[in-house]
Amino acid sequence: MKKLIVFLMLLFPAAAMADGNTVYLYNWTEYMPDQVLAQFTKETGIKVTYATYESNESMYAKVKLLDAGGYDLVFPSTYFVHKMKNEGLLSPIDKAKLKNLDHLDDTLLNKPYDPDNTYSVPYLWGSTAIGVNTTYIKDAITSWQDLWKPEFKNRVLLTDDLREVFGLGLKMKGYSVNDTDPAHIKEAYELLVQLLPNVRLFASDSPKQPFLNHEVFLGMIWNGEVFMAAEEMPEITYIYPEEGAIFWVDSMVIPKNAKNKDNAHAFIDFVLQPAIAKLICEEIGYASPNKTAVSMLAPELRDNPTVYPARADVEKGEFQTDVGDALLVLEEYWEKLKTR
Amino acid sequence: MNKPGLSHILTFRNTAIALVVTWTLLFIVVPTLMIAVVSVLQRDARTFVTPAFSLESYMALADPVYLKIFGKSFAYAAMTTLLCLLVGFPFAFFLARTRKRWQKPLLLLVIIPFWTSSLIRTYALIIILKANGIINTWLRAAGIIKLPLEILYTDIAVYIGLVYTLLPFMILPLYASLEKLDFRLVEAAFDLGARPVQVFTRIILPLSLPGIMAGAIMVFLPAMGLFYVPDLLGGAKSMLLGNLIKNQFLVAGNWPFGSAVSVFLTMLMLGLMAIYFKTMKRINTSVMEEA
Repeated sequence: MKKLIVFLMLLFPAAAMADGNTVYLYNWTEYMPDQVLAQFTKETGIKVTYATYESNESMYAKVKLLDAGGYDLVFPSTYFVHKMKNEGLLSPIDKAKLKNLDHLDDTLLNKPYDPDNTYSVPYLWGSTAIGVNTTYIKDAITSWQDLWKPEFKNRVLLTDDLREVFGLGLKMKGYSVNDTDPAHIKEAYELLVQLLPNVRLFASDSPKQPFLNHEVFLGMIWNGEVFMAAEEMPEITYIYPEEGAIFWVDSMVIPKNAKNKDNAHAFIDFVLQPAIAKLICEEIGYASPNKTAVSMLAPELRDNPTVYPARADVEKGEFQTDVGDALLVLEEYWEKLKTR
Repeated sequence: MNKPGLSHILTFRNTAIALVVTWTLLFIVVPTLMIAVVSVLQRDARTFVTPAFSLESYMALADPVYLKIFGKSFAYAAMTTLLCLLVGFPFAFFLARTRKRWQKPLLLLVIIPFWTSSLIRTYALIIILKANGIINTWLRAAGIIKLPLEILYTDIAVYIGLVYTLLPFMILPLYASLEKLDFRLVEAAFDLGARPVQVFTRIILPLSLPGIMAGAIMVFLPAMGLFYVPDLLGGAKSMLLGNLIKNQFLVAGNWPFGSAVSVFLTMLMLGLMAIYFKTMKRINTSVMEEA
């Protein structure tokens, strides 16, 4: 019998653990240096229980099934902040508890997905634009339109993400990446069908690899991936197209029924300290929304346009917002696109 | 054996059985039933499903897009089975005909790759097939080709990956039935003037049919579901049943439809298994009658 109890305790460790002074974090994989967590516990005495996810969708499903409880702090992307806010899954941020809020860059605050940042505090941000291997492509690439050029047959990469791929189609048709009109989505689909002969692959699992393997010469990719690829192969460059890139911000949000909201606020404020934000940016390689931290960065990183685009490029770009049930229409055309 | 020892074994055995039964109930039967129930409910954007009966999801399956997805998955699986048979049959035949003391080590070589996760082996194939990979570097160094061959992210790469992953499932049952084949029958056929083709089609093939059937089933069924191989090696350009189910659950949030596709796939596999067992029974009886 004793053995059975031990066995059950091994099966359900959570039940056996006393719920002390803890904060439950749920974040993307490889998105937070361990050192930051250790330092937080050392300074505040609050224990950190850390879990990770690989897509917004699986995070959303889990938070929803746990009835917006279970975790104290989650890191969704822009359009999932919007979606979760609309569905009443989030708890407002108590700004009085955040002493370091002033360090944030205004250009990334008060966006349509969360006006006034009532529910979210930016964590890291980045973009989806064009990666080019200049060994093979000598002409300057300036526009998303260049992906359609016949000479790039079989040499283009697209991310395996229907919001981004259809965002590209919608943008080229002159609509917003967040357009929900089925007629417009159909037009975008027809344009994307013409791009298919050029598409070598769809990849969201390390899209830098096909570049490094010489399989594709240009394509849609995230800036952090190009930053890492360029360390191995400097010929790979990142271009902000004239039509504008797709931007995203991953923010810290507190689920509505979180049990340790005070600890979650303490963690947000900890991350907002310039020294900590600087450390995160250097380790993870995406841009920090913390302008004080950015000013402290080494010039090679701070002036690298792949990580920190010019202000004009950010203003030209667009942030993704939740498209609601239009997602079903997008999924339908995505299936059509992938069965041709 | 004394009594306490026996009762100890019995308790252990009962505990083990109870654990397995509980495990199966909890993690296989209950989830399968949940999926079956969800498949006849309605989608809800906020709560995933609403408890209202609907066969809508099953009707949606008739859409030509899903027939195409199904057709493509079926074609990949069928072609993989055929290729595995073409490669696996000669292999199993020679394996069964080599000296007894070589058979075990050779079989071990077939099984060893299983010790590594198939996902990792698929990534290893990328390193071999890529434009600056082992094959292309070697061919270019040897002066056979100038530009690298485009293998990765094509159907060829998908078939290489699927056949490589599933080949042992074909070889092992084939070997089992070929090893039992009485070679004196082959010698007798030759003595009676049969040509090699006749020996193969009239003696070897019918006697190894159970192995071929078992191998085909064991390759075909997983090939329908191994969507990460076409995703990683084929460049995710075609949507297969596995991707469809995943997308319906995670991206579109349409749980009833995702469940309906799962139920459909499970039914299809059960149907194939039933055909397999029926055919096996017939083959076994006909072999018995002939004997």
